[in-house]
Amino acid sequence: MFTATRPPLPIISSRKLAFPPKFKIPRQVWVSNMDTVEEEKLGLIDLHPEVFAERPRLDIIHENVRWQQLYRHVSYAHTKMSYEVRGGGRKPRPQKGSGRSRHGSIRSPIWVGGGVVHGPRSPKPYFYMLGFNARLNGLRSTLSAKLAQDDLHIVESLDIPTDDPKYLEALVEERGWGPSVLFVDDHDIMPLNITAASDAYGHYNLMPVYGLNVFSMLKHTTLVMTLSAVERLEERILFHLNRNDAAEATAKYKLSSV
Amino acid sequence: MASVIARSIIMKQHSGAHRLSFATSIKIKSCYSSYAASPKEKSPENYTRYHEVSSENWKFVERLRPHLLVPSYPTDRNYASDWIPPSDTPPNLPYFVKRTKNFMVPVYLNFEEVRNARKITIIRHIEGDIWALEQAIKSHLENVTKKPVVSRVHEVAMHIKFRGDYVNEVKKWLMNAGF
Repeated sequence: MFTATRPPLPIISSRKLAFPPKFKIPRQVWVSNMDTVEEEKLGLIDLHPEVFAERPRLDIIHENVRWQQLYRHVSYAHTKMSYEVRGGGRKPRPQKGSGRSRHGSIRSPIWVGGGVVHGPRSPKPYFYMLGFNARLNGLRSTLSAKLAQDDLHIVESLDIPTDDPKYLEALVEERGWGPSVLFVDDHDIMPLNITAASDAYGHYNLMPVYGLNVFSMLKHTTLVMTLSAVERLEERILFHLNRNDAAEATAKYKLSSV
Repeated sequence: MASVIARSIIMKQHSGAHRLSFATSIKIKSCYSSYAASPKEKSPENYTRYHEVSSENWKFVERLRPHLLVPSYPTDRNYASDWIPPSDTPPNLPYFVKRTKNFMVPVYLNFEEVRNARKITIIRHIEGDIWALEQAIKSHLENVTKKPVVSRVHEVAMHIKFRGDYVNEVKKWLMNAGF
């Protein structure tokens, strides 16, 4: 139904890699379109192997997922200590004379109904910062795994011809993209049509490249990135791999630096 | 800048002597931290003039500034230390040991126990057949030291550990192999 008019293919045939890899071969991917439901391949580009072809470290991916889930977690479980339990200010019976054991308060931890000694104390934050390189390598591992498992697709841009949600659904089904799709673009203000179309579905999500994270990439079956997002992502990751002042970036995260 | 200083001096002179007249006559409120309330920029002739001294001397400033990215090593000289650059062609071996971003061989000495002084030589950035590399380095170290060498291969993290301080021997072996 939607036919796009464009110049003769291939439109994109090469891409210059920053920090050209010495001995590793770049990975080649198709660049597709979004203007028609059927997939049209607009060209073939290289992806940097140090970003997209790293040996996936499952332990680092696990660390990232655990961190993303845990750093925002606050436990509100709470138990009262002896001094917080109602009552227990008076000595129950005199120290000597009754023949029974001696006690100072009816709410001491050895009493039934007394306070809990080392119980949970609310609110308990579980915030921590995972190391910089762990987070960086988590991204590299996940992107590599996505590419290797055929779950990464590159598109020219996220402009679709209509804001009908059915168009987006038909497109995703036609191309065999998974049940859930994460669309990643460079800019955080997305085109109107795809914003309206994906709004109808909870499993089609839009994300700017600065929000890319391991958990979201694993949560969504397919990752669809625009060319400009790939450029930006590669530039940033390669910069961090080759920067001169890594000590500054990898320094211990301080909550407040006074 | 001159007009601002002049204005502030005038305000100070007035505020002491003619309090009533100051309050009604001049109401200047410049808040430089707010865009809306700060005074707008005037045309260039209101500000101090500047002129360029020398643009070819800028290179003396530039060479003092820190590098953002790691610069490459010079290829046209002999090196005073034991360091040799990695070879331009990959060695024809089933494994590869990548240099760090500062072009150093990734062999380190770890102290892994708190009370003992147990030294562990660790080789990182290994790609390919890690067991073949371990066998090759282990046999080399045993030839050199005439003693058994204990090793540990970590296939997930892709590193090899040898018990003992063999950092210099391993570095030499790797550099000679062309890594």
